Amino acid sequence: MSTTNKKLHCILAEFENPAVLIKAAEKTNKAGYKKYDAYSPFPIHGMDDAMGLKESKLGWIVLFHALIGFSGGLALQIYTQVIAYPLNISGKPLLNLPNFVPVTFELTILLAAFGTFFGMFFLNNLPKFYNPLFNSERFEKVTDDGFFIGIEAEDGLFSEEKTAKFLEDAGAVYIEKVYED
Amino acid sequence: MHHHHTLTDNLKFPAESRINVAFFAVAILGILLSAIGYIVDTQQFYFSYLTSFSFVASISLACLFFVMLQHVTGSKYSVVMRRIPETFASNIYVLAILFIPILFGMEYLYEWVREEKIAADPLVQHKLPYLNEPFFLIRNIIYFVVWSFLGYRLYQNSVDMDNQGDIAELNRKQKVLSAPGILLFGFTVAFASFDWLMSMDSHWFSTMFGVYFFAMSFQVFFAILILVSLYLRKNDMLSNTIRIPHYNDIGKLLFGFTVFYAYIAFSQFFLIYYANIPEATLWFKYRLDGNWAYMTYIIFAGRFAVPFILLLSKKAKANLKLLGGISVMLVVLHFIEFFWIVQPILQKSELGVHWLDFATLLGLSGLLLGLFFTKFKQADMVPKNDPYIQESLNKH
Repeated sequence: MSTTNKKLHCILAEFENPAVLIKAAEKTNKAGYKKYDAYSPFPIHGMDDAMGLKESKLGWIVLFHALIGFSGGLALQIYTQVIAYPLNISGKPLLNLPNFVPVTFELTILLAAFGTFFGMFFLNNLPKFYNPLFNSERFEKVTDDGFFIGIEAEDGLFSEEKTAKFLEDAGAVYIEKVYED
Repeated sequence: MHHHHTLTDNLKFPAESRINVAFFAVAILGILLSAIGYIVDTQQFYFSYLTSFSFVASISLACLFFVMLQHVTGSKYSVVMRRIPETFASNIYVLAILFIPILFGMEYLYEWVREEKIAADPLVQHKLPYLNEPFFLIRNIIYFVVWSFLGYRLYQNSVDMDNQGDIAELNRKQKVLSAPGILLFGFTVAFASFDWLMSMDSHWFSTMFGVYFFAMSFQVFFAILILVSLYLRKNDMLSNTIRIPHYNDIGKLLFGFTVFYAYIAFSQFFLIYYANIPEATLWFKYRLDGNWAYMTYIIFAGRFAVPFILLLSKKAKANLKLLGGISVMLVVLHFIEFFWIVQPILQKSELGVHWLDFATLLGLSGLLLGLFFTKFKQADMVPKNDPYIQESLNKH
């Protein structure tokens, strides 16, 4: 089977353990690569810093949704109970903020939860049914005991030989070219 | 990535430090002023005293709960800070002595002991099987025996570990003590709060009052833990032992229990407000009348809204200056909230602050902190032989 007519997706390098992986990720980041990712069976503490990742924007997405839930909940109740259907309930005032707390609270939480759930999907590019990395048999180890870094061919600094050499120098024990489709 | 931390700090509180003496001096000043106040205005003295007593008792009790919780859950993160609440809890027996004046002031504090009130009020008559002086005394003896024993044993076992006792056996003892301890704690604290505070308004009842008292106390516990740790840090003690990741955890818990407090305090108010049953609503009516209302709003803002917003971001929970500032605010408001619970019974329509409130606060909190630092000096500041000490030190 000829591989020349296939498009190169990335160069995948396997590392022995999390400690080597984190060092390699740091080197990759310092070398200036942008389109790369580190893969491991479990979260590795300090990886975000090593890869130079910025803080996730998820918090802001959640806050935004929570504020919509908060103001929406209040607006809904003020409109229905003060303007649209003003009913006297045991002589309490129509605009009754303590009474509005449970619904406002629930809607704040509901929308914040939606924001967290869908925001996480959005930021992780999910749902994604296909990833060229699945073409690599070796990559199946990533759910068990494999620690990988993949540098994508689309990266500005990418060159087939140099990138492979770079990963080898960073301590890779195995290097593979992963093709698309 | 693998930082291995070891105990490099000096574990002894400096023997030359006079901080405990300074607090005792404050305590003596406060007690002398309170004694003068007792002669000038006996009734006000007892109300002020109960306010301050609840304040120091609630802090010590929350410390006891935290220690037991750590043992029951086998928590590792908190080991480096655990000697602080252990020391506070070990002094609970002193609260039993401090409670005695309240027994002498029952005539002033609790309307259900007054003969004329009992004779005139069928509701109070109905509650007499529970609300009577002998039973009140018996219950309080039980509370203090349980708490003093738990606080003292948990501290003693932990210190024995420092001195190379049988670590595994002592650790097992701590767990065996803590599990039933938490159960007993739940009941005793709930009923103590009914007895000390809720029964002041003999018609009023709230089945949530015990949880409310606990929620207040546990929120402020984290503030106290942060403030004591920051004091140590400022004086170059344990700076490499209690590190930012530990503060970050406590900051998260402070945030979490700020929400818990608001949830409980609001639920108590909301159910009573919504159901609108006269003998239940009256308690809140007094506290929303006249300038008492301002205090209600200040408590809402200071104990929930402001700390909630300030602590919302991830960075804020590890910002020592911010944590310190919020902690000071929470401790002050914790006292104000006890004032708000106790004093409207005495001055129903107009909020007035009496100098005795400050005198008793100085006396009792000076004593609490003086005793704390005296004991804190005697042992190591960290349970250095705890089986989980290494995990706690490595926290990141």
